[in-house]
Amino acid sequence: MLSISGLEVSFQGSPVLNGLSLSVVAGETVGIIGPNGSGKTTLFNCISGFVTQRGGTIALRGEEIQDLQPNARALRGLGRVFQNFGVFRNMTVLENLLLALESRSDQMLSILPWSSGRAQQKEQALALLREVRLEEKASLKASSLSGGQMRLLEIIRTVAAGAEVFLLDEPTAGVSPRMKDDVTGIIRRLQELGKTVMIIEHDITFIERFCTRIVVVNEGRIVLDGTPEQVRSDEQLKEIYFGRA
Amino acid sequence: MSDISGIIFSEYTIHLAILVGLYAILAQSLNLTFGLGQLFNLAHVASYAIGAYTTALLSTEAQWQFVPCVAASILLSGAFSVFLGTIALRLTNDYFAIGTLAFGAVVSSLLINWRSVTHGVLGIPGIPRPEILGLDMYQNSNFLALLLVFVVAVQALYFAISRGPFGRSLRALAEYDQAAAALGINTRLVRNVAFLLSSAAAGLAGSFFAYYLNYIDPTSFAFGEMIFLMTIVVVGRPGSFFGVLLSTAFLVLLPEPLRFLNLDSATLGPMRQLLYSLILFAVVWWKRRSIFPEQREV
Amino acid sequence: MLEILPQLLVNALITGSIYALASSGLALTYGVLRILNFAHGHVMMVGAYTFFFFTVERSLPIAESSILASLAIAVLGVLVLAVFILPFSRGNSLLPLVTTIALGSILEALVSMWFGVSVRSLPLPGAGDSLEFAGVFITPLQVGIILSALVIFAVLGFVVHSSPLGRSVRALAEHPQAAQGLGVSRTKVLLGVFTTSMLLAAYAGVLVGYETNLQPTMGGSYSLKAFAAMILGGLGNMWGTIVGALILGLLENLSIGLDFGGYSLPAGYKDAFAYVIILCALLFRPQGLFGTGERRA
Repeated sequence: MLSISGLEVSFQGSPVLNGLSLSVVAGETVGIIGPNGSGKTTLFNCISGFVTQRGGTIALRGEEIQDLQPNARALRGLGRVFQNFGVFRNMTVLENLLLALESRSDQMLSILPWSSGRAQQKEQALALLREVRLEEKASLKASSLSGGQMRLLEIIRTVAAGAEVFLLDEPTAGVSPRMKDDVTGIIRRLQELGKTVMIIEHDITFIERFCTRIVVVNEGRIVLDGTPEQVRSDEQLKEIYFGRA
Repeated sequence: MSDISGIIFSEYTIHLAILVGLYAILAQSLNLTFGLGQLFNLAHVASYAIGAYTTALLSTEAQWQFVPCVAASILLSGAFSVFLGTIALRLTNDYFAIGTLAFGAVVSSLLINWRSVTHGVLGIPGIPRPEILGLDMYQNSNFLALLLVFVVAVQALYFAISRGPFGRSLRALAEYDQAAAALGINTRLVRNVAFLLSSAAAGLAGSFFAYYLNYIDPTSFAFGEMIFLMTIVVVGRPGSFFGVLLSTAFLVLLPEPLRFLNLDSATLGPMRQLLYSLILFAVVWWKRRSIFPEQREV
Repeated sequence: MLEILPQLLVNALITGSIYALASSGLALTYGVLRILNFAHGHVMMVGAYTFFFFTVERSLPIAESSILASLAIAVLGVLVLAVFILPFSRGNSLLPLVTTIALGSILEALVSMWFGVSVRSLPLPGAGDSLEFAGVFITPLQVGIILSALVIFAVLGFVVHSSPLGRSVRALAEHPQAAQGLGVSRTKVLLGVFTTSMLLAAYAGVLVGYETNLQPTMGGSYSLKAFAAMILGGLGNMWGTIVGALILGLLENLSIGLDFGGYSLPAGYKDAFAYVIILCALLFRPQGLFGTGERRA
């Protein structure tokens, strides 16, 4: 589904990604962990298209996307959930979803507020909101939601945009412990729908719940790639996080 | 009874109504880029000027009629915005502001110095009123009626824009550009189109301005005018359709009582300038936490 | 054409010196505040008019006028910093830009109301007589402009690079939190830097008043020229800005002085060079000629 090969990225001379390669199969859920500054978010930014790579390729369903604009990648099914909340707070919850549905159906330049598909889209949006129990909040401003609710909104919005690959950057950051279960729930729902999911997280116990594969990133490359049990027991991991004894 | 109608329909009131109408177009169009899109376009007055000069020159030197002149004004202002957009839209935030500021200053300089085309500081006199259906457009009440048709059309258009998908995309990218792109929105295109719509309307306003005053010169398009437009949008709350509409009327009419103080004309202008500059600062100070929200990025 | 080149170069040096004095203050302020003060040119204008008030309207001797005007500008500087800049220095950087735009307009309106909009000038009997050196004409005033600029920059350079005060300023500019952690008082440094910046601008304004003339509306174009010099030289980089200012002076004088195969640029376009420089710099090299590339435009 997603094939990354030899990705090289540097900021102001210092390398952040050093020839990183990774292959993800359709429907897989991969957890990505690593110490701060190891390049995890940069990896996501590169895949999404916000950071240009000096070298390497990224292929989505076999098609090379590393030279495409971010919105072109999104239209090919790449979805992204941002660490600092990509929900548009100055709009209502419903509008956030309508935005995703409109961009999918090529309507973003439409100046008129009415159109043939509008009622349908509203129904679609409300149905999606029902999935995450946010239907009553539809006409409220997104800023009134809690952190956990914003996360759910952002994820369901990415579904509305037609994404097949989901890049979730620290989805539990800013989420209360109570709502973490809801986030787990929506991620399991994504798995049921056959979506491909990549999750950056610090909380290993969280991602163990649904990841069958964990990848450890350190100093801009992948150093470990295996099942949660394999990764947990690996000696190298302890060295990476805690330094040599 | 006739006294009241005398006041309501006096030449002075009609004149004020025309001014409010013109500024309503200018301010609402600025609201699209500046308000909804958080695009600090300080060259908006340049689009206004291009519209005015286009109509002025085509109607006096080429004797073009109303519809072609207005169309040309709209088109040329639009073309200007495309040019400005390709250069300025690569810049972010305050650099975009400085860039458009510089651009506007270049246009200003051209208006004053390109004498062969613009007649420099002498301006362009003798702009005839439009000829429409045999009506006497030199009757200001008729002119107002004509203007109102366009004002209502432009306001309706902008209302529709702000409530529709395009307006949503614009608001989204103003808040978090990359999140909008990650949803499939072509942010560059949306910004360019917003620019185009905004500039075209300013060109329309310029055209009517030229027709109304029958004479234009560079002084009407100085930076002070840009500050005035900015004040209208800031006071009405950037992005708010009705807010900007109300503040247009408020700020255009507010300095009028000064006229009755019998000040000499040299003090009237600066006094009006002082008034709206103070209002601009006061509103920005009062709303400083909310007026220009920080734009998020990865 | 080449015969007039030395004269053009001398003129460029004179104009450049004034611009350098005007824009160095802007660079200093930007260094510590990261704010573009749009009212910088307007303060130049106010400084010149204040000086005009004391020397011409009150007929005070130059020394007294200078002291009084400096005091007035210093007070204005504190006011501007406290009211128009500091409350807006956190958050979206558009805020201080809008407030300083408003400030510039307020200053322009006030000066127009007090002094009228007609052109004024500061008279300096005798200092306007041209002297000739090696085929180049220069007035004592113009020599004074260049020399005073050199002296001021030498002093500034010494203070910034070799004095404890200068070290505090540089530390605060580079890393505010670390500097404050070491005991540097942000408020005091900001006050000092900003007041110096205002005084430099006012002095430049006075020179403009002597060398050419004054109008309340001149603030805006000088602000843009100062911006151009700073963007060209590198944001917050004082020496870079001075070089940028000299380059701007050079471009302006060469553009109107030289003729290109019979065509010469009308003098009115002189100011537009600053604007074009700004646009080119922002597009092609936003960090300026000497910038370190820390800020993307």
